[in-house]
Amino acid sequence: MRLLVTGSAIRGLPVVTIGGGEDVAEVRDLIYDPEAGRVVGLTLNKRGFLSGRRREVLPARAIHAIGRDAVMIDDEESLILPQDAPDEVGAPPSGRDVTGNEVLTEQGKSLGKVKDVVVLVGSDGEVVGYEIETGSGGIGYIPLPTQLAVSGSALVVPDPTQDFVEADLVGLGAAVDEFRSRLGMG
Amino acid sequence: MSERFSSATGRRLVSRASAEELGELTHIVVDVARRQVTALVAGKGRKAVLVDWDQVSGFGPDAVMVTDESALHPPRDDHESAAADGKLDLVGKRVLSDMGEDLGETSDVVFEPASGAVETLVVGARELPATSVLGAGSYAVVVKAPAD
Repeated sequence: MRLLVTGSAIRGLPVVTIGGGEDVAEVRDLIYDPEAGRVVGLTLNKRGFLSGRRREVLPARAIHAIGRDAVMIDDEESLILPQDAPDEVGAPPSGRDVTGNEVLTEQGKSLGKVKDVVVLVGSDGEVVGYEIETGSGGIGYIPLPTQLAVSGSALVVPDPTQDFVEADLVGLGAAVDEFRSRLGMG
Repeated sequence: MSERFSSATGRRLVSRASAEELGELTHIVVDVARRQVTALVAGKGRKAVLVDWDQVSGFGPDAVMVTDESALHPPRDDHESAAADGKLDLVGKRVLSDMGEDLGETSDVVFEPASGAVETLVVGARELPATSVLGAGSYAVVVKAPAD
């Protein structure tokens, strides 16, 4: 059983220093690398109502934990200007947004379209699945293997994925480990 | 015998030198990193004054004995001003685990009145050892994630 959270639930979370107990920023958006299958960093807003964008970014390696109620960092030094961050965080290549991409199995069956990423709670940005809109218009959750092909308009997932389309995040949290062991991912 | 902030608050401060009543305990100031009470606040608003912990000669069940009236001083810096206003109070503050989970609010703090050592934070049904506190600020107290 793993606790999971969608990307949309991470947006707007406060970014809090562990040593200081201060809310120094809030999450504007996730910087996602679909090939690595992980969040590589976060863009930020200033804290408070209508207070606007912060120039700094938060690289994933400086994230202590993405939680359900806050993103925890060691201190404010973790927030750095884009030019001081690794390119994948400070100047990520375009065309990496997987939202709307079709999810196809290796056998050519369409499972739906990507709506959002699903992140492991307590991690520094490990993406364990996607929220998808199924062909019938419903919402489903699929686990993600560590390696998969991404083209910019579609992504190809292993055939067993179709047996693991879950109705909710709790179901996906329970299914992730079984899915990985079935694919021999340990 | 351990004491709780909730039962200590409101207690009289009395001068040991003159036996004069000096005010009523309103806030207890804690250095989270040292897990230690560092000062007490008497009174409220602009009349709030602080007494450093080393000037507290006895934290008794009926009165808090202070060496002398001269030990009471108005806030000397921004930190003490915030403390005197209760802005740094642990009680009522949001508690976050280092895994980013909101555990609730601190409802009480247990401390050792002889030494001023902070022992436990009461957060809802949980009692978290003071050693699990990693930091505290205006937004939250951050604690090591409980095992459960």
